[in-house]
Amino acid sequence: MKTIAACVFAAFAALPVSAQSASVSTSPGDPPGAAFRGFFVVTQQSFAASTTFDAIFGGSSQPFFGGGVQVTTPNGIFVEFGITHFSKTGQRAFVSNGQAFPLGIPLTATITPLELSVGYRFGATRWRLIPYAAGGFGRYDYKEESGFSADDENLNTHHIGYLVNGGVEVRLQKWIGIAADGQYTHVPGILGEGGVSQDAGETDLGGVAFRFKVIVGR
Amino acid sequence: MPRAFLRNCFLTLTIAAIATAVAGRVSLHGQAGAFRTFLPASILPPIDRGVVADTSHAPDTPQALVREGMRHSTVTLDRVGISGSSYIAGRVIVKFRGGMSTQSRVRAMSTVSPTASLPEQPSYANFDVIRIDPGENAEAVAAALRQRADVEYAQPAYRVRSTFVPNDQYYKELQWNLPLIDLERAWDIQPAAGSNIIVAVLDTGVSYTNTAVRVHANAFRDDQGTLYPSLGDLTLNFVAAPELAPVSRFVSPRDFIWNDNVPLDFDGHGTHVSGTVGQLTNNGLGMAGVAFNVKIMPVKVLDSTWDEIFNAPAFGTDDVVARGIRYAADNGANIINMSLGRTGDPAPVIEDAIKYAVGKGVFIAVAGGNSFEDGNPREVLAEIASRVQGAVSVAAVDPARQHAHYSTTGSYIELSAPGGTDRGFGNNGYVWQQTYDFTLTDTFLLPPSLYGPPRFDVLAYIGYVGTSQATPHVAGVAAMLMQQGIKNPAAVEAALEKFATDLGDKGRDNTFGYGLIEARNTLRGLGLAK
Repeated sequence: MKTIAACVFAAFAALPVSAQSASVSTSPGDPPGAAFRGFFVVTQQSFAASTTFDAIFGGSSQPFFGGGVQVTTPNGIFVEFGITHFSKTGQRAFVSNGQAFPLGIPLTATITPLELSVGYRFGATRWRLIPYAAGGFGRYDYKEESGFSADDENLNTHHIGYLVNGGVEVRLQKWIGIAADGQYTHVPGILGEGGVSQDAGETDLGGVAFRFKVIVGR
Repeated sequence: MPRAFLRNCFLTLTIAAIATAVAGRVSLHGQAGAFRTFLPASILPPIDRGVVADTSHAPDTPQALVREGMRHSTVTLDRVGISGSSYIAGRVIVKFRGGMSTQSRVRAMSTVSPTASLPEQPSYANFDVIRIDPGENAEAVAAALRQRADVEYAQPAYRVRSTFVPNDQYYKELQWNLPLIDLERAWDIQPAAGSNIIVAVLDTGVSYTNTAVRVHANAFRDDQGTLYPSLGDLTLNFVAAPELAPVSRFVSPRDFIWNDNVPLDFDGHGTHVSGTVGQLTNNGLGMAGVAFNVKIMPVKVLDSTWDEIFNAPAFGTDDVVARGIRYAADNGANIINMSLGRTGDPAPVIEDAIKYAVGKGVFIAVAGGNSFEDGNPREVLAEIASRVQGAVSVAAVDPARQHAHYSTTGSYIELSAPGGTDRGFGNNGYVWQQTYDFTLTDTFLLPPSLYGPPRFDVLAYIGYVGTSQATPHVAGVAAMLMQQGIKNPAAVEAALEKFATDLGDKGRDNTFGYGLIEARNTLRGLGLAK
C-alpha cells in the first residue's frame, strides 16, 4: 500500500519535470506539457469468485460501465482516475457439490470501483499506436440487498484493492482515441466472510477484465 | 299368463340387479373383499371434540406400553430374534441375484428349508418373500440363504413400529414447535407452502376419506392374559379429517397392510403425522402444519392394534415398508416421511428401497428413535438414512431446544426437530395435531366389560411426543425447499444440515446431529457475501 502511494506521489511529482522536457521532444501539434483527457470505459470482468457469481447470476463474467480522467505527460507517464459501476439482480442460491441451486429470492449486488493508477505510455508522443501499462489501487464499494432480509442481513461496505493493467491506445484523431487493455484486480476483504463466497472459499472480489475505452483529449 | 311372465321378469331383473350390485362392490374394492368390505358411504359429518388433554401418547407411558403389548399378544406369529428384534414367523425376505429362473430360486430355497415355497413376487418389490413353516427359525433360514453366492441378501420379516408418542391444541396457544424452527418467516418467503410437492406419509394410514367399512373383530387376550371377547361383525364409519381436507389433496393412496387402495388409519398416528407435514393453515381453525399446501400420498405400511384385531392380512414388517417406499417413488412422491423404525439386525431390503427412491429423486426423512432411556439401541432405519445422501435421520428436541428425554442418540443422527416432551412443560410440551379422539378408538385399553367397537368418525386435537413428531417437520421444510428450487435429494439434505442451528457440541454431534432445522434460513439460502 505504501509502495503504491509512493508511486502515485512520484508520478504527480514527475509532472513538472515532464512538462519541462515536453518543449524539447514533442513534435508540432503535441501538447506542450501535461494534458488532461476524459474517457468512457466498458469493462467485461471475469470474476475470480467464479463459483459465487455463477451461483447468483448464472455467470461469472459481468459488465461494468464508467469513465474517468487521465493526466498524460510528454515523457510517457500518466495518471488515471476512473469510476465504474456494476449492478445486477440475481437470485439467492445454495451450492451443493459444485452445483448451484437458485432459490428465486432476488438479490441485487452493486459494485462501484474508484480506481487510481499510474502508468507509462510507450512512445507516447511519436506513435499512433501507443502501448501502455499501469498499476494502482482502488476503493471498491460493495452493496448487497436481498428480498426477505432484515437490515443487518444486507451488506454495504468497501475495501481497498489493487490493480495492474496493460494495453494499447490508438489515436484516431487529434482529440479522439480508443484503447483496449486487460486489467487484473485483487480485492480482498469483502467476499469470503459469508454467503456463497464463504462456502466456495472465494475471497477475491476482483478478477481479470477486458476494458475498452473511448478517450477524448490529446 | 302375461302376469306370470311379468312377475318372472321382475324377479329375474331384481336378482340380476342385486347380483350386479354385489359384484360391483367386490370388484370395486379388489383384494379387500376377503377381509373387509366397504359399504356405500352415507357418513355423517365428523364430530370435532376440540382439544383433548392426554398424556398417554408419549414414549414409555403405561398406555403406550399396553398398546405395544396388546399388539404382540394379538398376533400369534410374532417371534423374537437373537438380537431381540421381533419378526413375523413363516417368511423370509430374499433378493436373488439377477437372472435366476423361478426353478433355480426354488431349488436354492430347498437347500436351506424343506418347507420353503415361493409365492408370486409382491408388487413394488425387487425381492421375494418366501414362505416357510412358522415353526422354522426364520433367522437361521435367512442366514443360510446369505451364504449362497446367488443371494444378494436375505433377512427375516422384522417388525417395524411407529416411533411416535401421541398426546393434546391451537397455534399461538400450543404450537410452540413451529416458531421454534422459524416457520413464520419461512411462510413469508414461500406462501405457497409446497403446493407442487407430493409428500408420501408411510405410516398407519390417514383419515382422508369418508367411507364405511365392515370388519370382523376377533377375540384376543392382552399381555396379562385377560380375554377380550369377539365384537363380531362391525360397521365402522370413517371420516376425512377436516383439517387435512379436501380429499383432492390426497394422491395415489395405497394400503400394504390390507392390500388395497384405501389406507384407512385405525390408529391415529399417520393422521397426526400428516397434520404436522401439512395441516391446513391460516383457515381460522385448529392447528397449523408446516407445508400446508402439499399433496399427501397416504401409504399404509404399519399395522395397529385394531388392524390385528380385525385380522389384517399383512403386518408392518421390513418387506412391507420396502414396498411402500418403492410404491411412493414409482408414483410421483417427492418426499417420503417415515415416522417409523426398529432396532436390531440390518434391513438390507429397506436400504435397497431407500437407495432406489433417492435415486429417483425422492428425499426421505426417517425418525431417529425413542429408546434413549431404554438402552439407547441403534435404530436400524435411521442408521441407513445416515449413509444415504438424500435421506436423513431425525432426533427430537423439547420446547427449550434441549435433547428430548426419549430421543435416541448415535453417530447416525443427522438433524433435530421439535418432537416434544411429556416432562416439565405441561400441554406446551406436546406436538399437537388433529387426529382421532383416542378415548373412543383405544377401547382395548379399557377392561373387557367396557371394551367395545372403536369410532373413527370423532376427531380431536391431540398432543403426541416422539421422533415420529419431529420427522414430519423435516419432511415439511424439505417440501418447501423443493418448491423453492432445490429438487436434488442430496442437496436438500445438504441445505437442511448447513442451515440447521447448531445445538450441543460444536458441529455435528450424536445428540442433535447438525442441529435444529431452521426453515427460514434454509429457504432463503445464500447471497454473495452475506
